[in-house]
Amino acid sequence: MKKCKFENLIDEYLFDRLEETRKKSFEEHYFGCPLCFEKMEEKNELIAVIKAKGDEIFHDVYAPSKIRQSWLEPVLAFLTPRQWAMAAVSAALILVVAIGIIPNLKTRSPEFFINDDLVRGSSINLISPVIDNLGQVPSEFRWQSLGENTEYKLFIFHQEVLLWSTDTNENYVILSEDVKSMMAPGKKYSWQVKAFSPEGTLIAVSSRVQFNFTSSE
Amino acid sequence: MDIDAIVAKYRPVVSFRVKKSIGVQTPDWEDVVNEVMINVVEKLKKGEFRGDSSVGTFIYTITSRRIIDFIRKKSKVLKHAPEPDPYLSPREHVENLERAQWIADSIKKLKPKYKEVLFLYYYQELSREEVAKKLRISPRRVSERVNYAQKLLRKVMKE
Repeated sequence: MKKCKFENLIDEYLFDRLEETRKKSFEEHYFGCPLCFEKMEEKNELIAVIKAKGDEIFHDVYAPSKIRQSWLEPVLAFLTPRQWAMAAVSAALILVVAIGIIPNLKTRSPEFFINDDLVRGSSINLISPVIDNLGQVPSEFRWQSLGENTEYKLFIFHQEVLLWSTDTNENYVILSEDVKSMMAPGKKYSWQVKAFSPEGTLIAVSSRVQFNFTSSE
Repeated sequence: MDIDAIVAKYRPVVSFRVKKSIGVQTPDWEDVVNEVMINVVEKLKKGEFRGDSSVGTFIYTITSRRIIDFIRKKSKVLKHAPEPDPYLSPREHVENLERAQWIADSIKKLKPKYKEVLFLYYYQELSREEVAKKLRISPRRVSERVNYAQKLLRKVMKE
């Protein structure tokens, strides 16, 4: 079928989308252009059928189109692009506030340094032994209790090397003779306690306290 | 000048223009067309068409004047008349139900990409740009698909 430069106005004319001057101009045109008139009649019939029987014709096209429209487009259409931009900026500011300020409002675990290491959590006060130059090898290590359901780990070091460690639910440990026999008079030792929650999370650490003893008796 | 040939050629064009302007539901549309064609024949016989413009423009002018007269008269009458039926344009009116079903069945057989574009463009009456945005294709591609769908249907519609 031949083409006419006016035929792209046919749809606009049929849907009454042409402004008055163009509409009159196109009407005058199709009175003298059999090509445009034929195509217009054809389109008009097609549109009339589609309008009359659209539900029947497009029942299988509805679904994807409706899905496409169902959630995204109404959401996007809810605000203008400018409003969406403002909303995005506001959301970003709220996020900055949430990330930057709110965490600082919470009660934070204390932080302190032990042997130059930053430790987060509570500190445990060691009760004994906390003095140097003991007469003999200490048989009991005791510290402040942090309440029930706390597990403790006692570490005994010889200089910087771990000599022995043990786990307990009490706030003290009685050393067995075997452990005592691992330590010798005149040498420098240190001990430390760490506390854990029932889930195994470190909740408190003591400082490392040095001790030595003069006699093996 | 073959007046009969002119009448045969322009009656459908005048009919289309009249139906589009005053609504296909208006029972008077055929009377208006007849009046226009009688007027055209009279003027041609009297030699009022001097060839300054094309015959098409000559008939278009007569048709437009008659439509304006009709609407003016109708408006005066309607001031004291009950509320008229909603306007129904020719594109909303199917004249031959059997043929319409035949065309509808042919559209159903088109590939989904052509049906989809006809659905959005003609059924939902979205603009070319809106259809393009929805289908994520260019407006030019929308026109191509509409035209190709019509090309496929043309064969059926001409039968």
